[in-house]
Amino acid sequence: MTIGEALAEGLQVTVIGLTIVFGVLIILMLVLMAFKAVFYKQPKAKPEALPGAESIALPAAEPEPKAKPADDGELIAVLTAAVAASLNTSTYNLNIKSYRRVGNASPAWSKAGLSDVINSRF
Amino acid sequence: MSDAFSSFLGSTGISALISGMTEAAASGKNILEIVGTPIMIIIACVLLYLAIVKKFEPLLLLPIAFGVLLTNMPMFKGSGAILMHTEFFTDPQYMIDGHLDIQRIFAEGGLLDLLYLGVKLGIYPPLIFLGIGIMTDFGPLIANPKSILLGAAAQFGVFITFLGALALGALVPSIGFGVEEAASTGIIGGADGPTAIYVTKTLAPALLPAIAIAAYSYMALIPVIQPPIMKALTTKEERSIVMEQLRPVSKTEKILFPIIVTIVVALIVPDAVALVGMLMLGNLIKESGVADRLAKTAQNGLMNTITIFLGLTVGATAKADTFLTPATLGIVLLGLIAFCFSTAGGLLLGKIMCKLTGGKVNPLIGSAGVSAVPMAARVSQQVGQKENPSNFLLMHAMGPNVAGVIGSAVAAGVFLSMFAH
Repeated sequence: MTIGEALAEGLQVTVIGLTIVFGVLIILMLVLMAFKAVFYKQPKAKPEALPGAESIALPAAEPEPKAKPADDGELIAVLTAAVAASLNTSTYNLNIKSYRRVGNASPAWSKAGLSDVINSRF
Repeated sequence: MSDAFSSFLGSTGISALISGMTEAAASGKNILEIVGTPIMIIIACVLLYLAIVKKFEPLLLLPIAFGVLLTNMPMFKGSGAILMHTEFFTDPQYMIDGHLDIQRIFAEGGLLDLLYLGVKLGIYPPLIFLGIGIMTDFGPLIANPKSILLGAAAQFGVFITFLGALALGALVPSIGFGVEEAASTGIIGGADGPTAIYVTKTLAPALLPAIAIAAYSYMALIPVIQPPIMKALTTKEERSIVMEQLRPVSKTEKILFPIIVTIVVALIVPDAVALVGMLMLGNLIKESGVADRLAKTAQNGLMNTITIFLGLTVGATAKADTFLTPATLGIVLLGLIAFCFSTAGGLLLGKIMCKLTGGKVNPLIGSAGVSAVPMAARVSQQVGQKENPSNFLLMHAMGPNVAGVIGSAVAAGVFLSMFAH
């Protein structure tokens, strides 16, 4: 068998083989999409999923943070302090207008624990 | 007394080794054939070192390495102590019309000959798949159907390597690579040990030890091989994409999935059904929740037993005359190429999907399409987390990962249906 013949035959097998592999898996994909249509019902609109957006005004336009609902006050104070510490600035330069949880909702400790476990398996 | 002692001396491995080496030297064989046995013992010890100290897939590499050691112990021809007669399985002289001479294997075979029947007859790899099926969760795949395509794209490496092996066979005829050997070498790119063994024992039994050792070693090296390719083929922005949370998957879907996969695969590629069917049976046993006892046995006792038998006997086929050949070097090289192209294939389709979905797919999950479960998914997770510490790609990467198992089994079925007589 010359290299030309070898490659010609190989290419033929490759094209047929990849077509079959993709064909079978595409069929399975369609089945799974049908699954979603048949079995999965969108949960009814969550109560205003995670409202607001995190925004930090730097430096603050207004000298004093605006009054917030009473039960948020403590959280705002903590957030302001944390942002100030990580940005190396004073809390007076910050004005937290709104906040929201981003990404993974699990606490930092469980995230750290999870990545520890994952990394220990290498 | 002295007669008994000298006949004992004559039967020792040391005298077998010396007489074997002097005979080979006297008949003018090449240096590899003269010192083949000691070299194989050294190779066995290196593999044991890799398994025990470096922890390269030790559950398999340890029995494989010990199989290599046992089979290469010097013995006199015809000695009853020989554990493995590879010639019974490959040499037409010892077979009947090209089929195994089962009578002879039972009458004269050693321990490893009898255990090797499980490989040769295609029993062990499907049973391993049964256990893998129980340990596999298809939930992430069912929740994100598109990720199944990444498992198909990662089979690029299989076919590219098949082409490469054919070209190598044409360029270097002495290496003896025809389509069957090329197919067995290519399937290393599926990164799936049992599948590689299942194909090779049918198409190119002489290459079995080299292919199994290459497949399992590279699977252990996935955390080293994949990250540089992943970083080279993706941008920083792509790597830090956070994917949407997967939808919850109902029990009905998880139960229906294995049944449907078995039917679809069997209808299109019947040769893949031994592997895929067992994988799906295992999964159904778990997901149905009605056969807990079977699940426990199949994923623990049964699978561990089979793993020992499989590793030991695959290693035991590595005799000097078939292992110390240029073909082994070719396989080691092509195996690495196979892994690289499989990783790249998955990543590139991942990039395309990223573009098409407007940046909703992190291309890093594409590299998990090589079916080394769950190692490849963990690598995706780790590389992703380096860019964005709060990003958890693991579950998203499990989808392509388990799809890769199905994909490589289908690719194996394609090769078997084309080339097995």
